[in-house]
Amino acid sequence: MSATQDFHYRLPGRSGGWRPGAHAGRAMGSGEDFLAHASLFARPDPRRIDLRASLRDPRGDWLVRLARQRTSVPVAALVDTSASMGFGAPRRKLDLAADFVAALARAASAVGDPLELLAFDERLRDELGAPSSRQAGLGERLAAGLRAAVCEAPGHGALRETAERLAGREALVFLVSDFHGYGADLEAALDALTRARVVPVVVWSGQETEPPAGEGLAQFADLERGGLAELWLRPRLKRRWREAVAARRVELDRTLAARGLRPFFMGDPFDGDTLTRYFLEGA
Amino acid sequence: MIAGIDFLRPGLLALLPLALLPWLARGRDAIPYAHVAWLPPDPLGRAAGRLLRALGALLIASLVIALASPGRPESVEVRTGRGAEIQLLIDRSRSMDERMLPSDWRTLSPHEIRHQTRSRGPIKSQSARELLSSFVAQRPDDRFAVSFFSASTLHVVPFTQHDEVVQAGIAAGGIHRGLSETDVGRALISSIARFDKRPYSGSRIILLVSDGGARLDEDTRLAIRAGLERHRIALYWIYLKGFNRPDLDMPGEASEAIPEVALHRFFASLPTPYHAYQAESSEDLAAAVEDVGRQQNYPLDFEERIPRQDYGRAFIAAGLVLAGLLLALGRLRLGALA
Repeated sequence: MSATQDFHYRLPGRSGGWRPGAHAGRAMGSGEDFLAHASLFARPDPRRIDLRASLRDPRGDWLVRLARQRTSVPVAALVDTSASMGFGAPRRKLDLAADFVAALARAASAVGDPLELLAFDERLRDELGAPSSRQAGLGERLAAGLRAAVCEAPGHGALRETAERLAGREALVFLVSDFHGYGADLEAALDALTRARVVPVVVWSGQETEPPAGEGLAQFADLERGGLAELWLRPRLKRRWREAVAARRVELDRTLAARGLRPFFMGDPFDGDTLTRYFLEGA
Repeated sequence: MIAGIDFLRPGLLALLPLALLPWLARGRDAIPYAHVAWLPPDPLGRAAGRLLRALGALLIASLVIALASPGRPESVEVRTGRGAEIQLLIDRSRSMDERMLPSDWRTLSPHEIRHQTRSRGPIKSQSARELLSSFVAQRPDDRFAVSFFSASTLHVVPFTQHDEVVQAGIAAGGIHRGLSETDVGRALISSIARFDKRPYSGSRIILLVSDGGARLDEDTRLAIRAGLERHRIALYWIYLKGFNRPDLDMPGEASEAIPEVALHRFFASLPTPYHAYQAESSEDLAAAVEDVGRQQNYPLDFEERIPRQDYGRAFIAAGLVLAGLLLALGRLRLGALA
């Protein structure tokens, strides 16, 4: 994939976990992040003896330096594959999501984090997902699976069930979806993910945020619920269309901000630099 | 008239529920969209969509109805015809140039009558023409046609209500002398033919003014009978009886040999109305003409059969208009995004 899709993520604060990695961690271990001095008797590691501190010590103890170890954080992507994600031409929103998953896999392997993929619609789609792994080339394989996937489920009923798989895990969780029709189930899913750092990745196609170019009568059929809307497209209605999109964006922002989350609105095509900036802003 | 509608193929009306198709075929042409609830509500668009669907439903319904061939059933209507159609058929043979009995013939001695008639009786054709022209003048509502006949028939005036033309036609009969023969059969057949393809709007009369009969062969008789019956024509024969000419009501088998009597008996055998008037003098002729006029003075009630009228074309035309409208509106439709 093109270099512009590559991004880097960093996490604010310190993460738990014992496994060494690239993120600031809470665990003590070998690292440069100084925490405190301790007596050699308490921490019998002569390699860490700090001579200057020991000489300064009034009690004359041998002191060793204690440091926090940089830690690895598991990364998980929750990808909505319901019918509305099949919308968009020539590239479906799920194709955009696949691009993102590929880039995420590269970003995770760059810092040595394991990646887990969970795809869901009305049920958990295990055939598209993958358990947590550092396997090389995993991202391309998952992305290819997503690109070939069929989106026909009329909803995202398994959202909560999927989120509960990660419940209690201190992970970096990307919730990749268009967030259409998300309500109480989103709240429940976020409840399950309280310990994780959740990055809502909002995938909207330009074709749904922008009204069609022509004017005239247009009928729209809902991909998921089978509803039907008839619009007489005209400049005034197109303005209202854009207003409705903006209102939805604000509403989503507000819903997530209540939990301290900031959604990332993915463009078409997916731009890695924007996501990198998102993490820099958040960190 | 709404009540009187029937269908040639009412079974096809069972297809009428097809008109619901535009409502059932939800979103077949619709653009798939990720999340319809997102879109702004648009009453105008909804109304336009309903209109399109209603037009489609109407189109299907009108085609189904057209297939079922609605129509007004065949009916019989009573109509009142005003004014008769009278075909004047006047003998133009030489014998018509003879004179009739003078008006005071009853006072004359039998020896004198022949002589007197030769010298001062009115000329048959002339007095007939005069009386007929006053008869025509008295009946402005009727349509007249004038024909003369001897060996063949001369149609002088077609059916018309224009009095002057008819009068001139009658007057034309007075020009020059008459011809030699009297072929009543051919004259009647060609007079009957003049009623062909005319709408039946009042009683029809052939007024035959003649002083002689003719022997008709069987074919002619059949043709006359059929023609009179088909066109519903009443026949009046004013027989200008000359001196010493046979009486129409002469009894007996032997009198069948007399052409006038034979003709009268044939006419009397017709199913259509027939009346014969014998006129020996011009007074008799006047009385006969007056009697004809009295008999045919009434408005005529007759039943007219109105054939079944098919309204299917109207529905097909409506369907065509609707289809055109839908095509035109369909061009305003957006088929796809972007």
